Amino acid sequence: MESLLYSLLFTLVKVLIVFLTALGVGAYLTWFERKLAGHIQNRLGPTVVGPFGLLQPIADAIKLATKETVIPRGADKPVYYMAIIMALVPSILLLAVIPWGPGFMVNGKYIEPIIADVNIALLLAFALGSLSVYGTIFSGWASNSKYAFIGSLRKAAVVIAYEVVLGFSVLGVILLAGTFSTVGIVEAQIQKGVWFIVYQPVAFILYLYCMLAESGRVPFDIQEAEAELVTGYNVEYGGMKFGAFPLAEWYVNVIALSAIAVVLFFGGWDGPKILGPLSPYFWFVAKTFALVFFTIWLHWTLPRFQAKDITEIAWKILLPIAILNVIITAVVVYIF
Amino acid sequence: MGEDRVEWIIFVILGTWLILSALGTVFVKSPIHVILFFLSTLLAMAAIFLALGAELLAGIQLIIYAVAIVVFYVLVITTIPWEKIKRFGGIYKSELMIASPILFILFLLMSYMVVKGKFAQPVGFVKDNVKDLGEELFTSYLFPFEVASIILLVAMIGAILLGRKEE
Repeated sequence: MESLLYSLLFTLVKVLIVFLTALGVGAYLTWFERKLAGHIQNRLGPTVVGPFGLLQPIADAIKLATKETVIPRGADKPVYYMAIIMALVPSILLLAVIPWGPGFMVNGKYIEPIIADVNIALLLAFALGSLSVYGTIFSGWASNSKYAFIGSLRKAAVVIAYEVVLGFSVLGVILLAGTFSTVGIVEAQIQKGVWFIVYQPVAFILYLYCMLAESGRVPFDIQEAEAELVTGYNVEYGGMKFGAFPLAEWYVNVIALSAIAVVLFFGGWDGPKILGPLSPYFWFVAKTFALVFFTIWLHWTLPRFQAKDITEIAWKILLPIAILNVIITAVVVYIF
Repeated sequence: MGEDRVEWIIFVILGTWLILSALGTVFVKSPIHVILFFLSTLLAMAAIFLALGAELLAGIQLIIYAVAIVVFYVLVITTIPWEKIKRFGGIYKSELMIASPILFILFLLMSYMVVKGKFAQPVGFVKDNVKDLGEELFTSYLFPFEVASIILLVAMIGAILLGRKEE
């Protein structure tokens, strides 16, 4: 009974830490993205609110929260509100299966810095990643607007296509590690002394494509396509309700998928011990941030594909490559 | 309050969630709300699998049913202009009349099974049920597994033929 209470308490604390950090970092990524975009486009980005515009996310949050609530006529109200939850919850739940560092002992109790160390962690991650498509579809449908609805249908087509490629692309890593557990995959890489990107470069590139597609980043952001769809599925949402969608899709989802990429291909918390006991966390966060940075960098550099090209690339090019990669990996793993 | 009690509480919560969403699926009128309740049913089912320790089953339930299959239902239902189709308000009476005796018999059968039958007992502690299930599928149950895959392949080819544009 005592141990049960303790584990409940630990889990609660871990959930709180991850939840608050994710939302805080997600909010501050908006500042970072605007700053970065500004410098890429040879301007300054936010400078007015606070030093370097550092208080800009807080000002934005206050602005969004105090806006008038407008719901389009003919909207399905319960679904309209539910869609926000359906978009936010899966992205945040994704963070539950991410191992931030190795386990350690405190007062004779073994603590792992991961919320749910289940042996289907990867399956769960991909299931949750694709569950967030319902937020997009239903927000578009419930808004009773054609722009929003076209955006959500595009997103659905993209997610269906890239979810399949994503599943196949990581099978190679799973074959090498011999487990679905995120902790297990990191430990396998540390044990072998090699990050899986060395063995699976093709899989990593495929994963990167899928990550961009799933989180609606350029070059796969057709569901938002400002020019034709006036930002698509969330166009009928206002105030903080509007803020929730980019927060979930563009920031929390990108953080979570980058962290999973780090677990799969970059050795998780593996790295030289330059900061003593804190170095695993430093390496994990640094690697994740590097990938997030890369994603945002692409977002402000590349043009976007056409809608039909995106699904064609997935089904006709990426999927055969992914399947070939799995077969070759399986044969090699079986022989050696 | 021991571990058994906690397990029981979790089961009751998940079971209530499952039954309520199943009832919602049957009784709610708007097709979109029906599909949402159905999705909720599938999620509750996955949660029960997870609580029972069948982790792989839970993962597959989520990834195949809750995402891959329901997403197509959602695509179809959201694109049909429901305002133009004749609205149907009530409960299907004749169907209910035919179905209720069958349902009653099924209920009796299941109650008999629950009261008289034996519950499946775990054979032993399973460490990695992903690996065990994979081994079982590819050794003892290889033939049914392959037959199922061929049936799915046939269905897929059929669907492609039906959906193909006439030249």
